[in-house]
Amino acid sequence: MRKKWVSALLSAAMCITLLAGCGGNTNQTASGDTADTKQEEQVSADTQADGSDAAGTASGEKITLQFWNVFTGSDGDILREIVDNYNKTNTDNIEIQMDIMPNDQLQQKLPAAIATGTAPDFVLFGVENIAPYVSNDSLEDISDFWDVTGVDKSNILENVLELSHVDGKLYGAPMQYNVSYLYWNKDLFRDAGLDPEKAPATMEELAEYAVKLTNPEKNQFGLALPTSVTYMQFLWANGGDADDPDTNTNLLDSEENVKTLEWLQDLTVNKKVSPNNITGPEADTMLQAGQIGMYMSGPWQINGLRAQGIDFGIAPCVAGSAGAFSPAGGCSYVIPKGTEESHKLAAYKFMQYWLTDDILKEWSQRNGFPVWSKTLMEDPEIQGDEVLSAISKATEIGRSYNLGYSLASQIDNDVMIPLFEKVMSGAAAPQDALKEASEAMDRVLAQ
Amino acid sequence: MTNSKKKKKYVAQNQKSAYLFILPSMIVLSVFVFIPLIASFVISITDMNIFMKDVSFVGFKNFTRLFSDNRVSNATFNSLYFTLLEVPLQVGLALLLTVCLAKNNRYCKMLRSVYYLPFVCSMTAIGIVWSMLLDPNMGLVAYWLKQAGFETAAFLKDPEFAMPTVIAVTAWKGFGYTLTLLAAAVLNIPQSLYEAAQMDGAGSFQKFIHITIPGIWATISFCIVTTTIGAMQMFDQAYVMTQGGPLNKTETVVQYIYDRGFQTAPYDLGYASAISVYLFVIVAVMTFVLRRFVLKGGEDADA
Repeated sequence: MRKKWVSALLSAAMCITLLAGCGGNTNQTASGDTADTKQEEQVSADTQADGSDAAGTASGEKITLQFWNVFTGSDGDILREIVDNYNKTNTDNIEIQMDIMPNDQLQQKLPAAIATGTAPDFVLFGVENIAPYVSNDSLEDISDFWDVTGVDKSNILENVLELSHVDGKLYGAPMQYNVSYLYWNKDLFRDAGLDPEKAPATMEELAEYAVKLTNPEKNQFGLALPTSVTYMQFLWANGGDADDPDTNTNLLDSEENVKTLEWLQDLTVNKKVSPNNITGPEADTMLQAGQIGMYMSGPWQINGLRAQGIDFGIAPCVAGSAGAFSPAGGCSYVIPKGTEESHKLAAYKFMQYWLTDDILKEWSQRNGFPVWSKTLMEDPEIQGDEVLSAISKATEIGRSYNLGYSLASQIDNDVMIPLFEKVMSGAAAPQDALKEASEAMDRVLAQ
Repeated sequence: MTNSKKKKKYVAQNQKSAYLFILPSMIVLSVFVFIPLIASFVISITDMNIFMKDVSFVGFKNFTRLFSDNRVSNATFNSLYFTLLEVPLQVGLALLLTVCLAKNNRYCKMLRSVYYLPFVCSMTAIGIVWSMLLDPNMGLVAYWLKQAGFETAAFLKDPEFAMPTVIAVTAWKGFGYTLTLLAAAVLNIPQSLYEAAQMDGAGSFQKFIHITIPGIWATISFCIVTTTIGAMQMFDQAYVMTQGGPLNKTETVVQYIYDRGFQTAPYDLGYASAISVYLFVIVAVMTFVLRRFVLKGGEDADA
């Protein structure tokens, strides 16, 4: 009898804990749905309070913000920490619910969400997306950001701010800025008899080093050149270009470009310094495995290389006859069209929080991203950081490639990536590939 | 008089409940098949993009554009190439193994389940595993080939080999399913036919040609038609393993539709729908032709 009682009690307890477990789970996984309804209630409460206080602080009502971003890598964990910390410490009763998804997925969901009025309150994505969204009238103009929040605009580098502007209007708050750097593996340099502290500075040196570093016996390659990316740094270095976004002009068909592409084809087809047809992620893995001598990529390599214990250096992209350049990129916080005024102001608060030197410094130091706040650049700790100072130097040659141009993604996918792929795989002679690409460019620009 | 009236009423009621029974699947079919089908016809004559703003009708502009786009012809070629090699490979391999495995002993049952295993895995998982195994720089197969002293093939990274590799992986995944269907059909053929043939002095090859093949022709033609339709709509394996590369050699029609609609700004849904309609027509014609000729062939074999 007693035993029965005990077992009944135990099973009851188990049921309850099970239920509790389920409850907790559904709360978390279904946060989208429940939060939506919650949000709607709050919206009505907030709009009432709006009249009395523009910033919505006096209302005391909790504001829940939906936040989508594309930070699927290790940097996403750091971003989550910062957001969690903001949720705990902010005094405006703002709670940010963050949803990380791959860029592909975000690009499929967001336009439809904006069109149907179910978009998140703010989004963090690559600045190259801003122009196409603005041309479809899908982002809020946030030109009043500086006045509302009192953030000092002049403290941010001009070229960084420029990336979030379209036609002189501000559509995003800068979050990070980067260019492509040249990474090199110091151990492989030593083995090949090269000076491990000296990176190549010119295209000739780059080719020469790449050949020396290539060793098919050990499955080791001198310079990884993944397909499905563009190599504007090489075209620019010899004075060539792809197009002029301001005048819609096709600049592909030039002597300079032919020369650069011949040099590139010689490297990949004759000298075989790069593994054939690899993707970016595969090149990342090979770099971390110590199979790659040199590689051009953004700052997101740094954490992976550190974790794998690779002895690496960072240098600016190499120079050609016309100088050295590197394609710039970055991410910005943007607000989708149709976001409630009170939520927009709450999102401003988080953006303001992000733009404080403490947060920017934490982000740069932990992720290896260059700093672009003028006061932070003078910070002794930043100046003493070896990686960050190398990066800041390499960032100076940043140049915009079609950023803010609504045809950018089409030019990349339909013209430039096929061009480089054909040249590097040897499928077509540089001259022919360039002619074909130039015709494709005309078709894209004619739209 | 009253009797017939009663009967009429009975029939009507019976029909009502019949409609009730097919209602659930009709709802599902309309929501996921018929409505999207009609919608994509309508979208294909507009200039709608993913932002769905300022949509206007453009007539058949998307279709005229389609016929001058060499990536559409390239993708069509790739889809046909894939279908023409993959379907015979998958069905042929299954047919060949059926001969050995259509027995109900323990050994054959075990082998049939083993061959069926890849079919229950998702194409994405299989694609990732195979592209890792076949990677020329980091893959296990490349390593083994090298150890054995062979020149490593680049498989998925080689413009010429990429499509055959994708075909082989797809056939490997799918043939177990075809095998199961064919084996079941073979087991349904009355044993007496084989015994009679035996008495007439037929060899095992003759028995296969004159009894097995006609006996399972309906199943074979079903397999050919469904595999062909599936092959023309091939997307996931190439998306996971090659992303359509190298040099667009594995880009199929569905993949190009996805690229135009969701990957490349301005996310031209109108144009993507036009290509979908184009694919729909191709698949419809192919199915019609196949049904006509494959089923007819079966009747001939029966006679």
